[in-house]
Amino acid sequence: MGGRPSAATRGAFAKSSFQSQLMGVAAFHNTARRSAILPPGPQRIIGTVNDPAPVPEPSSAHGSYHWSFERLLAAGLVPLIVTPFASGSLNPATDAILCSVLLLHSHMGFQSVVIDYIPQKTYPGLRKIFWWLLNAATVTVGVGLYEFETNDVGITEAVKRIWRA
Amino acid sequence: MASLRSSCLLGASSVRTALRPGARIGAAFTRSMASVSEVPAQPEAKLRSFQIYRWNPDTPSEKPRLQTYTLDLNKTGPMILDALIRIKNELDPTVTFRRSCREGICGSCAMNINGQNTLACLCKIPLDTAADVKIYPLPHTYVVKDLVPDLTHFYKQYKSIKPYLQRDTPAEDGKEYRQSKADRKKLDGLYECILCACCSTSCPSYWWNSEEYLGPAILLQSYRWLADSRDERTAERKTNLENSMSLYRCHTILNCTKACPKGLNPGLAVAEIKKTMALGN
Amino acid sequence: MIAQRVGVAALRRGAAQPFFAQTLPRAALAASMSTTPTRSWSTSACRRPISPHLGIYKMEQTWFGASAWTRITGCVLSGTMYTYMAAYVVAPLVGLHIESASVAAAFGSLPFAIKGGLKFALGFPFAFHFFVGLKHLVYDMGKGFAKDTIIKSEKILWGVSIVGGLVLAFFV
Repeated sequence: MGGRPSAATRGAFAKSSFQSQLMGVAAFHNTARRSAILPPGPQRIIGTVNDPAPVPEPSSAHGSYHWSFERLLAAGLVPLIVTPFASGSLNPATDAILCSVLLLHSHMGFQSVVIDYIPQKTYPGLRKIFWWLLNAATVTVGVGLYEFETNDVGITEAVKRIWRA
Repeated sequence: MASLRSSCLLGASSVRTALRPGARIGAAFTRSMASVSEVPAQPEAKLRSFQIYRWNPDTPSEKPRLQTYTLDLNKTGPMILDALIRIKNELDPTVTFRRSCREGICGSCAMNINGQNTLACLCKIPLDTAADVKIYPLPHTYVVKDLVPDLTHFYKQYKSIKPYLQRDTPAEDGKEYRQSKADRKKLDGLYECILCACCSTSCPSYWWNSEEYLGPAILLQSYRWLADSRDERTAERKTNLENSMSLYRCHTILNCTKACPKGLNPGLAVAEIKKTMALGN
Repeated sequence: MIAQRVGVAALRRGAAQPFFAQTLPRAALAASMSTTPTRSWSTSACRRPISPHLGIYKMEQTWFGASAWTRITGCVLSGTMYTYMAAYVVAPLVGLHIESASVAAAFGSLPFAIKGGLKFALGFPFAFHFFVGLKHLVYDMGKGFAKDTIIKSEKILWGVSIVGGLVLAFFV
């Protein structure tokens, strides 16, 4: 770090360094406006600065089991999606499995969207509303998938037909 | 009162004049030195503007703003921290930022420079472009003043993972807890973390859920103790992460790994935790 | 600055008069004289702004990050499925015809460009989500975390997904 000015050159420094006017302020990215959707609210510190942050109740169903299940579904979707389109053969059983895995995968995906963007601590009411809206939507879609599988041509065949229409 | 003020000023000016001759001699000396040698090629001023986030807690209703300062890079050190210190020394003493070691070991000067979290002392002033350098505090933190964020909750989270060796059995030789070279090697890339919070505050998941999600820095530390062969509370440590928020808000965005000014890999550490949690060993 | 000095000077003058100094508690005197508002830690902390984040962070790591697009593409695909299937349940009740045959017929009657556009609008999200899903499964095994690998794989991902989307839209 050889940048330290010697005393003799200091005066020259002050003269040659330019300073834009103190009031020459760039139009600022107003944080308040940008995060207007669900702002985090004013700062709050629970307990004194020397207390550790609280550790939540342990629950494997929401922790590692949930995570492993998510990965299993995602990994399972790869062959479930590739085979029916690649082989061209149609099997109602695999189609039904594909539908249920797809539904669960979507539901869990939407769940993490809700968890991420509507923090429980700041917006408990809104979180609850969206949580149950999602559950209702998933049940409806589940019914729809069942109807579609039983009364229509099934999801794989339908996608094929529309895609090639 | 007016007399008091003017006498103060008088005192100050007299002090100044008393110092003046010495300063003149210095100036004359440098000038004569210059004339002896050939005309020094005075390099053209390399001006660069720095836009710095300003917010003052004394006027809290005033919106945060960017203030521009221009320096001659020929007379400034190579690092962003050099520029900041020069701005504070010579242009505006009210610019507030944390700094200490100036060599990337204390983690005080963590801030967002040109959109990337890093340490100001390890970040060179970019020379390949003439664009203004934009300096913000660490993203999505509560600002104490200017570039100083409040890291209270970050430290409280660090405390919650019990970042110290926990064991019940005494050492075999009664002296020290030994570990094999291979076990020690597992801690490389973990123990070097200086808790500058660059990675945590680069993580969108941590932005939205910092209250409950621990964030990459704390999780890397958590893994540092999970991976330590001498620690005997591994099960308890893992149980503390068994919930939807503490660990599993990580979606492998990997901004943490891209941000770490120490070249560590918090993303990998978190992935390793998830792996051990899933396999249950 | 000057106002502050006036305050200090006034304080000194006050202190010079023993009567005031004794009758007024010192704290009250300071509060009435001081020009900076007294504030406790908590009240000032309440007014702290949140520093900017999405607006200032490197775009390629936020708006154009692979992770954000995993979620966007996933939501597009699942959203399409949710909308269609929910509509499929409701359709008979309101007399709409959205069985696969009528949708295929309606889709088939569209001009080529619109058909291609719509197919790309679903084909690209599918390709992206599929490939990024594979990438994330590799990450979950604890592999591919070297900084160069991360950056390289992200570039490959974008290229492959766009090509994949185009193939799905126009060549299938």
